[in-house]
Amino acid sequence: MTTTAAVPTVARTSPRRRRGVGGGQRRAPYAFLAPFLGLFAVFTLAPILLAVYSSFFQVKRSGLGFGGDNTLTFVGFDNYVRAIGDSGFVAGFGRMLGYGVVQVPLMLGLALVLALLFDSAVVRWKPFFQLSVFLPYAVPSVVAALIWGFLYQPRVSPIVEGLHAMGVPVDFLAPGTVLWSLANVAVWSVTGVNMVILFSALQSVPREIYEAARIDGASELRTALFIKIPMIAPSLVLTFLFSIIGTMQLFNEPMTMRAITSNISGDYTPNMAIFQTTTLGGDANLGSAMAVVLGLVIFVLSLVVQKATNRKRGAQ
Amino acid sequence: MARRTRLLSATAVVAGASLALVGCSSGSSSDDTAGSGDGAVTLQFWGWATGLEQAIEVWNEENPDIQVDFFRMTGDDGAKIPAAIDNGTAPDVVQMSVHSIPSHVIANRLTDLTEQVGDLEDEFTPASWANVTFDDKTYAVPQDFGPNALMYRTDIFEQYGLTVPTTWTEYLETARALKAANPNAYIAQMSPNETGYWIADVWQNEGTWFGIDGDAWTVDVDDEASQEVAERWQTLLDEDLVKVVDMWTPQYWAEVNAGNIATINYAAWFPALLEANAGDLAGKWGVAPSPVDEAGSTAAGAGDSSVDVIPTGTENVAQAAEFLTWLNTSPEALDILITDGSMFPAATTGLASEALAQPNDYFGGQVINDVFVQAAENVPASWVDGPVYDLVQDNIKDEFAKVANKQQTFAEALAATAAYAKDQLESQGLNVK
Repeated sequence: MTTTAAVPTVARTSPRRRRGVGGGQRRAPYAFLAPFLGLFAVFTLAPILLAVYSSFFQVKRSGLGFGGDNTLTFVGFDNYVRAIGDSGFVAGFGRMLGYGVVQVPLMLGLALVLALLFDSAVVRWKPFFQLSVFLPYAVPSVVAALIWGFLYQPRVSPIVEGLHAMGVPVDFLAPGTVLWSLANVAVWSVTGVNMVILFSALQSVPREIYEAARIDGASELRTALFIKIPMIAPSLVLTFLFSIIGTMQLFNEPMTMRAITSNISGDYTPNMAIFQTTTLGGDANLGSAMAVVLGLVIFVLSLVVQKATNRKRGAQ
Repeated sequence: MARRTRLLSATAVVAGASLALVGCSSGSSSDDTAGSGDGAVTLQFWGWATGLEQAIEVWNEENPDIQVDFFRMTGDDGAKIPAAIDNGTAPDVVQMSVHSIPSHVIANRLTDLTEQVGDLEDEFTPASWANVTFDDKTYAVPQDFGPNALMYRTDIFEQYGLTVPTTWTEYLETARALKAANPNAYIAQMSPNETGYWIADVWQNEGTWFGIDGDAWTVDVDDEASQEVAERWQTLLDEDLVKVVDMWTPQYWAEVNAGNIATINYAAWFPALLEANAGDLAGKWGVAPSPVDEAGSTAAGAGDSSVDVIPTGTENVAQAAEFLTWLNTSPEALDILITDGSMFPAATTGLASEALAQPNDYFGGQVINDVFVQAAENVPASWVDGPVYDLVQDNIKDEFAKVANKQQTFAEALAATAAYAKDQLESQGLNVK
């Protein structure tokens, strides 16, 4: 449908296009790209280069440090050695890995099931429920963490008080549970937006395929499992990738919840450790090295996920 | 201090935004006056204490040649200070937490004020002055102070026939008696996140976290003074005599309001926060001197306090120092800060002020500041801040959280943080003994 509609448009513009071929034609894409490239260079590329550069330096002081003879010295990979040797920083990666292994599949599974339900004919009041699922995403993460913080706290939370009254001695903020309480906030926040991505992917699958499946006698469940999910695999990979990146960069929620529980340490996530080093420790050089390490880890993880999924799809 | 700014900012977010605009616009217009060539200077002042506007108004009227342009810091404004100083766009005067001084000094961010304000030593209590002096150089002028006293629930003490403890031994006995009488009631709270609460107790015991020995820093986080305090807290925790709850959280205030916390041994600025968060308990609190180690001692601890500094790079050091001397030692300015700003001053003139010795309705009409003033005069001059204070404070929070979870003891936490502090100092290339 869309392709046939596009044909006359192309036909109508093609003569003008031919006339326009020349220098201006070739420059046009760059002119349109310029605002993006300019901002990208200033706010993404330059900071990255600056961070990499400053990660190779250290401020050297002596004695009490009151003399004022602070010199910026080239130290090679010293900061990287320190970053990787910082057990708190490394532990943050392990924590996020454990968190990701549980939170990402859970959240994506939920998003997928919801998307499939909304795509099928079983759900009534579709727009209302879709909006309800999506709405938490519109709540800023700091606000989400504050709201859930209240719900996790004894004495002020109706949930905790209710469970206590029923004889369930639950503590959402204990050392062993607080990570999963954080994961819960993330699931609540981002399931909706992932559902929307998967749902729109489902909507773009040609309906004829479903009809063919139905004529072949496939049930709704079989259609979902063997047709719909494989058809939207690229979107699943995309959401999976974004979720992993989001997990490794977790900052707002634990930072906010740290205000209500000491069981979230100052270097709970890699980003929090970077913040601690840079802001509290005033060591932007070491902080830069840590940020580069975090960037590399995310890069490698993304690469692994892409390679793995490519191979899998190739095999199919 | 971060906490107090946070609390203030909570009510002043909207006002802060508009004040920021005012600050910007008046900043540019004042530059015009400074450039008019009549010899007048305009000082930019970033601070957060309430009452500063009123005091500055009086100063500006009396000093046409040294005009002060005030910007009220809210939220995370304090985090902008290092970058502003490093880039030469800092204000001429900045209010900051006393603990921040050394980390800024080693980064060359603070002007050595020994020449300008060095002779003000007698204007302040020994503890306050010791806080702003490092290696015989003065880097700040003390502004407010937070000496400790014991706030206690008069009704609970009366109900269970308890007497207010004067020594830590009596305190422990009182705690046990209270727990026996009411299993839900605790003598105090243990808050891993409130390091000021810990620092005050160590300070009272003539302890410190850091020290200067010749050309080297010392780390005293786990020295004897701290170990003694650790022993007391370990007993309180082991016998379940303190309520483990992070301070300033909704849960904390809920516990206070529910009458589960019978005493709070904290700083002179705390009563105002208590009144704001537990208004229904008006008339049910009293204030007594903090318990001491041995009967007859009058030593008191102190919580966070703030100071005023002059960043490096300002051209008007002499004028800024003159203003700060007036602001923090003159009876005129101190009375305004006490009356309009409810400030507990660091200057001895302020401590002696009539304005401070007013009855407090929330405490049943008691002149509570009489107790706090006596405490202020008896805080040992032992506390020294170090260049990695912020990191160490963050670290000890995490270690105390493990103590609260019974994963380690106070003594183990102190050892861990002491090792961390040494590491951090050494990694900066500083000498550590």
